[in-house]
Amino acid sequence: MVLTHQQAAPGRPRTEHPALPWVTTAARLVLAAVLIVAGGLKIGAPALSVQAVQAYQLLPDSLATAIGYGLPIVEIVIGVLLVVGLLTRVAAVVSGLLMLAFVIGIASAWARGLRIDCGCFGGGGELGAGESPNYLWEILRDFGLVVVAAWIFIRPPGRFAMDSALGLTGPREPHQPEGDIFQGEEPDA
Amino acid sequence: MSKAARDASVRARIAAQRETERKQEQRKRLTTIITVVVVALAVIGGGWWYAAQQSKSETVAGGLAPVTVQSDGTAVMAKPGVTTPVLDIFEDPQCPVCKQLEEISGPTIKNLAAEGKVKVVYHPLTIFSQEPTRSNSLRAASALRCVSDGSQWIAFHDRLFKEQPSETVEGFKTDDLVKWGNDVGVTAPGFESCVKDQTQQAAHEQSSTKTLQDQKLQGTPTLKLNGTVIDNNTIFVPSALRQEIINAGK
Repeated sequence: MVLTHQQAAPGRPRTEHPALPWVTTAARLVLAAVLIVAGGLKIGAPALSVQAVQAYQLLPDSLATAIGYGLPIVEIVIGVLLVVGLLTRVAAVVSGLLMLAFVIGIASAWARGLRIDCGCFGGGGELGAGESPNYLWEILRDFGLVVVAAWIFIRPPGRFAMDSALGLTGPREPHQPEGDIFQGEEPDA
Repeated sequence: MSKAARDASVRARIAAQRETERKQEQRKRLTTIITVVVVALAVIGGGWWYAAQQSKSETVAGGLAPVTVQSDGTAVMAKPGVTTPVLDIFEDPQCPVCKQLEEISGPTIKNLAAEGKVKVVYHPLTIFSQEPTRSNSLRAASALRCVSDGSQWIAFHDRLFKEQPSETVEGFKTDDLVKWGNDVGVTAPGFESCVKDQTQQAAHEQSSTKTLQDQKLQGTPTLKLNGTVIDNNTIFVPSALRQEIINAGK
């Protein structure tokens, strides 16, 4: 067991505070709720979702169209994976990257003086009459969600996770060192 | 066999058994992961395809229903005798979402009018309060008011959305507006001076402000069917919009 130190999965350090897995569960639910609501509000009007992506004026139209169609369903699927705790780490990475992309998009819109709605929760990226964008709040919110995603990545999968039920977090035997789910390599001690 | 040798062989057997179990477990895990990934990707692919289908526009098949320009700057598109249902379209020539609506659902609206299924009323508005968008919108909308012939009006209206400038630059310049009007066949006498001198601007601003207040509009585009706002999830999905309008006419 010489390599235990290196191989111990971040999810199950031996001296873990009993509340920590619950924090991960809460983090999963928060992130999932945001993603599912955001995706759900956009999915009914794909053309509007495309418009919201185009409003940032960052991507060529064909790419913006593809992303506009795909983003709502991606958000919902990732959200569902987080709720049930399936492929928790992958879902955390994808949602973290999504949130980072949103932060970059909003910051860039802000820097270029575009006056748009973020289109985060539906809407066509268009402000109503007399509305002002609140870029700082949107950036802080999405950055906060990046942190939440990072927590889930570092301490997966939390309680009530299908990853654990399906044995995706590694071998059950507590005395055996765990490998990362993608590496699956374990030391022959 | 010595005790030590027996122990060693037992240990070896246990080790081998563990190794087999470990391999099995690993295979099972891999299978589960691949299954979940494949299912997730399939759902995403399906959703993407569905979204693309939902946003498919109709093409304007035949001619348009006759268009009549009203004195208040609105334009009615309806077959003779068709008075209900009424579809009111509130749109700003500078608003990108309105452009998107025209692209996605414009043909459906024109087809339905041509089929005698609906009476369409276009209300060009100016919702912007900041520059350069406000002036862009005012120039375009008042230029539209310089056109009195219905078929020329709708052609110019479509061209305006096609040429919509970015919200960050000055656009809809009067020279361009005159040129696009001539391109689509506007023949009204005095069109050029009407556009260049912006003679219709005050009238447009007045009716725009009044409409925004009277209709209690939250933004553009807004579509009202017999006076009731239609949901965005309907107006941006041509097949759903068609169904909604046909149902209203039953």
